[in-house]
Parts: sequence; C-alpha cells; structure tokens
Amino acid sequence: MAVPKLQQLAKSVVQGPSLATGAIPTRDWMDIPVVFKSGNYAYPAKKEKVEYLNSQSGLHFPNAREWSPEDDDWKLPEDWKEIILKGLKERLDKFRSLKIFMDCCVRCGACADKCHFFLGTGDPKNMPVLRAELLRSVYRNDFTLAGKILGKMAGAREMTVGVLKEWFMYSYQCTECRRCSVFCPYGIDTAEITMMLRELLHLVGVGINWILEPASNSNRTGNHMGLQPHTFKDNVEFLLDDVENLTGIRPNISFNRKGAEVLFITPSADVFAEPGLYTAMGYMLLFEAIGLDYTWSTYASEGGNFGLFTNNETMKKLNAKMYAEAKRLGVKYILGGECGHMWRVLHQYMDTMNGPADFLEKPVSPITGTVFENAASTKMVHISEFTADLIKHGKLKFDKSRNSHVKATFHDSCNTSRAMGLLDEPRYILDHVVDWVEMPENTIREQTFCCGSGTGLNTDEIMELRMRSGLPRANAVKYVHEKHGVNMLACVCAIDRATLTSLMNYWNPGVSVCGLTELVANALVVEGETRGELEEGLRTML
Amino acid sequence: MDLAEGFRNHREKIVNKWVEYTLSTYLSSGFFLKENDKFANPVGGNIREALGRLFLLLVKGADPKEFIPPLEQIISIRAVQEFAPSQAVSPLNAVKHITREVFAADKERSQLVNELYDFEFAVDLAVLAAFDMYMQCRERLYQVRINEIRTGNHILAGSRCPSQMLSAEK
Ligand code: SF4
Ligand code: SF4
Repeated sequence: MAVPKLQQLAKSVVQGPSLATGAIPTRDWMDIPVVFKSGNYAYPAKKEKVEYLNSQSGLHFPNAREWSPEDDDWKLPEDWKEIILKGLKERLDKFRSLKIFMDCCVRCGACADKCHFFLGTGDPKNMPVLRAELLRSVYRNDFTLAGKILGKMAGAREMTVGVLKEWFMYSYQCTECRRCSVFCPYGIDTAEITMMLRELLHLVGVGINWILEPASNSNRTGNHMGLQPHTFKDNVEFLLDDVENLTGIRPNISFNRKGAEVLFITPSADVFAEPGLYTAMGYMLLFEAIGLDYTWSTYASEGGNFGLFTNNETMKKLNAKMYAEAKRLGVKYILGGECGHMWRVLHQYMDTMNGPADFLEKPVSPITGTVFENAASTKMVHISEFTADLIKHGKLKFDKSRNSHVKATFHDSCNTSRAMGLLDEPRYILDHVVDWVEMPENTIREQTFCCGSGTGLNTDEIMELRMRSGLPRANAVKYVHEKHGVNMLACVCAIDRATLTSLMNYWNPGVSVCGLTELVANALVVEGETRGELEEGLRTML
Repeated sequence: MDLAEGFRNHREKIVNKWVEYTLSTYLSSGFFLKENDKFANPVGGNIREALGRLFLLLVKGADPKEFIPPLEQIISIRAVQEFAPSQAVSPLNAVKHITREVFAADKERSQLVNELYDFEFAVDLAVLAAFDMYMQCRERLYQVRINEIRTGNHILAGSRCPSQMLSAEK
C-alpha cells in the first residue's frame, strides 16, 4: 500500500514544471528545449542602449530592437545562422585557445561538480563540461570532419534557434568565475567559452540590459552609473565630510590634477553605494596618512569593465580609457582600488589589447621605495599589494582594538584570486588589522566560490537564481558564522560588496560585508586625528 | 520489541531513504547523493544533515518549535530553487511512507506499523511548520530585493543619473 502512495507523491513532486529548464532529463540533454519564464532570465538590453553602443567607433552591436526571451520569435536577423557560424569561424581563427578548448576536452568530468550554478541547481547543463558542449556540438557539426560525417553520433548538432536560446540561457548562468578550470587536467577555461557564446549572441542582437547599459554609460561618461564629472566629484566630497566628522582629519584630495604622481582608479560603486562607501573613505584616509601624491579622475571614474562581459572590442575600449586618462594627466603609474574584473582585464588581457603602457613608469612605492616588478608592463598596482608593502616596511600604525566589533572572514574574489593570484596580500593585511578566521579550505584561495552574481548577473529580476548560485559561498560563511561568531565578510571587489550583501541578507542575516581597506582605515592611527570611540569604525553614525 | 527500539534499529535506513528520496527531486542528483563533503556539496550535505536531525526530533515527539532549525536548513534552499511550494515541502511527508515501508518489510516489527500514529502526527506538524518556513524564506527574499533597490546597489549599473531622476520627479 505504502509503496504506490510514495510513488504518487514522488510523481507530483518530480514531474511538475521546472522553472529553469521546463523538463526532466529523461531524454538526451540535447533534445531538451529551454523554457524562459519570468524569473529565470535577465531582461534584454533596451533598444536605445544597443543603438548607442552600435553607433560608437570600434564597437559592433547590431539588431537593436524590442524583444522578449519569452516570445517564440526573437526577431533575429534573417541570416542569423550565417552570422553566427561566420562569427564562430572568425573566432576559431583568431583565438587559438578557443580552438584548443573545442578540441581537447576528454569528458573526464573533473569539472562537472565544481560549478556553483550546478551545485545550487542540480541542472546538468550547468556542469561546465555540458556548458562548453553547447558550443562544442555546433563546432563539431560545422568545423570537424567527424561531426560532418557522423553527426549526432559524434556529439554534433546543427545550429538552430533552439540551440541559440539554450546558449542565451546557459551563458548567462555562468559567472565566468573560472573555478572549473582549476580542476580541469587540460586547463580548459569554460569562462572563455562563455565569453565566446556571449560575443556570438551579441552579433545577432541578443544581450542583457544589466550589462549593456553600464557598458554604454561607461563609454559615455566614464562610469557605470552615467554620473557626470560634477556629480562624481560631489559624491567623493560628501565622503570627505564623513571622514572628517569621524576622525577629525580632512584628507586632501584632487580631481583630474595634471602632474600628480599616481592616478587612483576604483569602481564607481565605491563612491556612491553602501557598503563600498566605507571602503572609499578608507582609501582617502590611508592615502592621507602616508601623504600620497595622487589624483582621482572624473573621466576614468570607473574601474569596472562591463566590456569583459560583452565582447573583446568593448573590453579593450573601456580598458584603454583608463590609460588614455593616465597619459593625459601625465602621472607615473596607476593605483587600482578593490575591484574584481578590472583586475582580471588588467592581468589577463590588458597587455595584449592595449599594452605595453610605455608612456608610464614602472611603479615604485613613493613611501617604501619598493619596485612593483609584477606591474612593469601594465603599470598598475593593486591597492592590497601597495598596502601590504606599507605594512611590511612598518609605515602604518594600527590599533587593532578599533576593529574589536568585527570578527571577520575573507572571501577571495574569483577575479583577483584565480585570474590574478592575489592570495596572500589580503591575508597579510587582515592579520595586522583585525581578528579573523578562514573559511573551509575547499572554498577559499584558488578554490574560492563565486558570489553567484558576477559578470553582470547582479540584477534583481533573477534574485532566486543568484541565491542558488551563491549557496556554496554562503554555506561556507554560515559555517564560520556559527562556529566562530564571524560577523563580517571582507572582500576586495565592488561587485562582491553589493552582491554578497544580498546573499548574506538571505542566507546569513547577521553577517555584514566590507572592503578590506575599510578595516585597514578603521584600525589606522593617523597623526593629528581626534577620533573618539567609534563603535562601528567608519560606519559609526554620529 | 517496542517502537523506540524499532526506530533505533532502522534509523539509518529510514533517513538514508528519506535523503535519497528528497535528493531525487533534483534533475541530476547522483553527485548530491554521493559527495559527503558539505562544502563541496551544499545541497546534499545540508539536506542529509537536517533530515537526520529532524528525524530524531520527530521520533522523540519534540516540541514543534525545535523543528525550526533543521526545517530552515532544508526549506531555505528549496524556497529559492525551481520548485512550486508544494514541491518544495512535500519530501518531508515522505518519511511517513518510508517508515511504514521499512517496518513492514521487517517481519519481526511489522506490527509496529500500527503504532505510528504519534510519529505521523509529528510529521504532519513538521510539514505545516515547513509551509510557514517557506513563506518566511520567500518574504526574506523579497526583502532582499527591495533592500538592494533601496541601497542603490541596484543602480550600480543600469540607471539614469540621479540628478536626472530628481528633475523627472519634479
Ligand atoms: S566559469 Fe564558473 S560559472 Fe562558469 S562554468 Fe566554470 S565554474 Fe561555472
Ligand atoms: S575537466 Fe576538462 S577535460 Fe574534463 S570534462 Fe571538464 S573540461 Fe573536459
């Protein structure tokens, strides 16, 4: 009696429609169509944003139109298939890595269970190997002999509108975090395959607004928000008032100052959104304490590069803007704030795209004399490297007890850890300024789990998706929260500061999020300060 | 042979089947079942841990308030996954059927099936509490969405200049 009842229960549970895929994989994954429903896709880009981007020199964003992923007809250009296949061919010729990634996967499965999207959804198409297979199957069909002859038997399939829709679904359920690549014996970087999928989709006008609008704003005014120079300046000055009220110190700052030694660039989020604001206040206090000769720019007012999430031309252009400004101002080098993908672009692509930046000088810390050889070509130094060096040379004075309200843990941002190797500097800094503990070993450093909302997926219409993909990260935070009373998740990325805040609010209320430099500034003893007891450091409301 | 002993002897088996059943609601559940590291496998790990705890509470006839932590561990996950509310909650119910099945298959203890009323009543209470928990999780989620919009994190990208918004309001 009991057994058939249980089966009935199972039936009602398992066979209901699934929001993400609309189906159960009883058939081969290739035959399961994707179903778009409110909540499982990010909104398509607005027509005028696409038109604007397409009108810019060096950029190509055709087929601007109103469309919805829920409609059967996506209003693709008539020759969309030729465009895609031609685009793929061009990229196979241009990027040797893509050709290698298409050919060398042995389907060993080592990557399959390493993706936070798979871990949070259980959807097989979120296994990195299958995500890559979405493109590889088309590659096999049109670009390999075996595929041409054997077709489906060789894992090949024809490019159809259904396949294109699947690309859209799953290339926007990948945050290009590169965790899978750490485990692949061949070093296949599924993030780069996702980048190619997104590039190809843009060729036929398929993209999301949360990425294209900031990219177009950045191109137009220099930052994601589209803030104009005076507004950007006002925002920074507001923060200055706050620093003064809290510490009695009013840092000297300047904008667009020619001849400054250093140009400082950080994500614009740091100057107008909580909790990044406190990190920005931290930068200013730190630079004041050491007397750094630096300037902000109201044009290069964004470290973030949403071009990375669209195509290589846009990424190149937005990166070049920072260097154009450095050249115009005649600085010696660039100091970069706490950002994720700014550093990914810088470390992995800048040199080939826009480098070497010969008009700048090899970065030298004016305080310690340290030469940053690692930045010899890009001429851009990470704030954590810079700060760690200051600490190492005893140039900063700390009172750790000023952070006694904080028990921290550290989230390695995907970009800085896996795409840049910045692992020890933040930890060295934390050791000096705050009481902190590590999360479990398989969730930190190179193996860190993504916040779940990177690569422009930090939009609120897909909040459930973000919560599921952020589960592996949140789960590790929960552990140290419960075991060690951790109440602060520190990171060095502006997108993290925003997205981890939401992630914590859902999974671990009671854990806040901060930038590393906020903790540095909390503990920093600055000459001439009149700082009273600040119970919450720079966050204290006076 | 009393009921308590029956539960003791069969606990592992029942909980295993319960976990298996719950995880079978995911499209690709092999890994969720197999991997024991909770950090490498958060869905499988949390569900296994929570169902194990919940089972002990159900057997003991604990105060339903005590059900809340393990229920939250499970439902907070399922409330943001692709399940209808009934689908999110219903695997909890399965433990009734599984327990009957396991006892019935054990010749010496098959008569215990008739003594399961209290246990099953406790399961009913847990299922009801799970619905409340489901709603709480959804509400928390909407709050997260609202907060994000309010703090301006949502205008990190994709919005007009604030001064333009102000003049539009005028
Ligand atoms: S890059 Fe990250 S998000 Fe993309 S498939 Fe790999 S692990 Fe998943
Ligand atoms: S780990 Fe590498 S070789 Fe193995 S299935 Fe994944 S991508 Fe292919």
